Amino acid sequence: MTMERETSAQISQAEDSAAAARLAAQERAARLFQETRRQKRQIVTPEGVPVTVEVADYGERLAAFMIDFVIWTLLTLAIYIPVLSLIGRVGGSLIAISIALFLGFLIRNLYFIYFELAWQGATPGKRIMGLRVIERNGGPLLASAVIARNLTREVEMFLPLGILLAGGRSANGMIDWSTLFIAIWLLFFAALPVTNRDRMRGGDLIAGTMVISMPRRALLSDLVEGAMQFTFTPQQLQAYGAFELQVLEELLRRPHQADSMQVLDEVCDKIRRKIGWTAPVPRRDVVAFLHDFYAAERAHLEREQLYGKARPDKYTQPAANA
Amino acid sequence: MTLTADAVDRTAAGEAPPGTGRFALVLKSNEFRKGREEGWRELERLVQRVERRGAGSLSLDELQQLPILYRAALSSLSVARTIALDRNLLLYLENLALRAYLVVYGPRVSPGEGLRTFFVHDLPEAVRAARWHILIATLALLVGIAAGFILTVQDEAWFYSFTPADLANGRGPSSTAADLRNKELFAPWPGAVEAFGVFANVLFSHNTMVGLMSFGLGLAAGVPTLMLTVYQGLTLGSFVALHYDRGLTIDCLGWLSIHGTTELGALILLSAGGLVIADKILFPGRYSRIENLALHGRQAAQMGVGGVLMLFVAGILEGGFRQLVQSTPLRLAIGLAMATLWIVYFSRCGRRAPR
Repeated sequence: MTMERETSAQISQAEDSAAAARLAAQERAARLFQETRRQKRQIVTPEGVPVTVEVADYGERLAAFMIDFVIWTLLTLAIYIPVLSLIGRVGGSLIAISIALFLGFLIRNLYFIYFELAWQGATPGKRIMGLRVIERNGGPLLASAVIARNLTREVEMFLPLGILLAGGRSANGMIDWSTLFIAIWLLFFAALPVTNRDRMRGGDLIAGTMVISMPRRALLSDLVEGAMQFTFTPQQLQAYGAFELQVLEELLRRPHQADSMQVLDEVCDKIRRKIGWTAPVPRRDVVAFLHDFYAAERAHLEREQLYGKARPDKYTQPAANA
Repeated sequence: MTLTADAVDRTAAGEAPPGTGRFALVLKSNEFRKGREEGWRELERLVQRVERRGAGSLSLDELQQLPILYRAALSSLSVARTIALDRNLLLYLENLALRAYLVVYGPRVSPGEGLRTFFVHDLPEAVRAARWHILIATLALLVGIAAGFILTVQDEAWFYSFTPADLANGRGPSSTAADLRNKELFAPWPGAVEAFGVFANVLFSHNTMVGLMSFGLGLAAGVPTLMLTVYQGLTLGSFVALHYDRGLTIDCLGWLSIHGTTELGALILLSAGGLVIADKILFPGRYSRIENLALHGRQAAQMGVGGVLMLFVAGILEGGFRQLVQSTPLRLAIGLAMATLWIVYFSRCGRRAPR
């Protein structure tokens, strides 16, 4: 009873600075979880279940594109060189360049469209970088969307690049229309992925797609296994919420080396102070103690959550005890 | 569950000496996981195989299993979100559900079939849906042609303003009728290699650039699109005027029409596609501009693809056939036939049995 009052006093005291403390804790936890700074979006599957996706970064997409660029350039060269040696004797250099441009156009478009259709929205470059193209609203990725987003790439990237490489073709002092428009063009499209939160380029915008990053996660064994050595009272278990529980989980899942053991020692001391655990915990039992506390705390919080009394973190008041 | 409650309640002062009271804790989330983990692992295995080697690597049995396991995993995810606090489990299930979702709802058609559906159904439908935009683009082009023609007939110096030097190719007010007739309209066929050069060149020529730009600049609210379309018309009109002044109108039209009906169709289609984009940005209706663009942008992109396709055909006609066919009536006939072909394709194809 006294302990309960103490706990609630602590909590009301913390209430004022709770928001700030919560933010700081989440910041520290994000570092601990080694989370990336990617934007997160929710898509809803056709079954109605919301799933979180991580929007791919500008840099990742550029890297994927560079890989693809190298591949299809090599591919084009591999086809172009025999063709050139066949025709080179007959035609002039203009024809050679024309053929190169034409082959390049054909191969890169077929390359992107083929792989994005055949490999579930990933070209080789995207696959290496762990990226995927998805339909923005969670529907199936249609062939027309893939074709649309890739042909737009032609318009927004390669054409202006091609003209720039050919040099401005201003003749006898006229206004050079193309150079003027290319300037507007390049500015407009280069800025596009930065201007929206989903990092969409023109093609994504038009096709209704976006590019996400897909890290692969493994299912580790459940920490709640085996016999318990320590036991805790419900009052003690009211000290924390789900957020703290998951930080503890992350700490326990790390490989137990010297430096992480030291962290565990500190955490153990903190928890003991917080829950008023007076008996000393010998060093060799620290991991076992934390394990058991984790299991008991999770059992407690999950039961509360099941009864509609979810507690996201320790700054939230525990639900009135029945 | 009851065991848990009992176990927790049973302890007294909160200090249990080590070694005493060893008992196993039973959690709902733990039991839940034990019952379903096998299915998740199985799904993960299948998804991984598809990701690595494609859907073809699954047997018929496994293919039937996949959506069942996927739905089970989704339902597991929903349940886990309400009963489990195991972070690793939640993240794993979310990740697995997403990966399986991408496999199950990924592109289900083979690339070949996708292309076929696109050309038989999607493209003509998109073009039909944009008939008003096509009308506006056509009008803009006609206005340009008329203005270019009238201005150049009055003063041939206008020709220089409307036609870039690389497109004029030495033609201009100083050209004589004989020049135009022998070096241009009825110049001999240069041979297959040269013809292919012309074909490829056409694809990357001025007209194509301007056409694609008028499409892409639809994103800039459509005004540049219309300007470029009128400008294309000006070039064409002044070109015809140059020949009109030298009494070569019919021959010129024949020379232009063999590939021109296709090329102008492409320009109109690209321009109309740009206008569709502009339309959806300017008048989003009940959606946000971005949402509206995503909803209708595909239609515009399909028209863009159609335009590029037509430019390909125009390139083949111009490079391969124009100088091969040396008779004006025959050229006009081919031009008209191509125009009819395009109109029939876009207005009739894929009308029935949409999938």
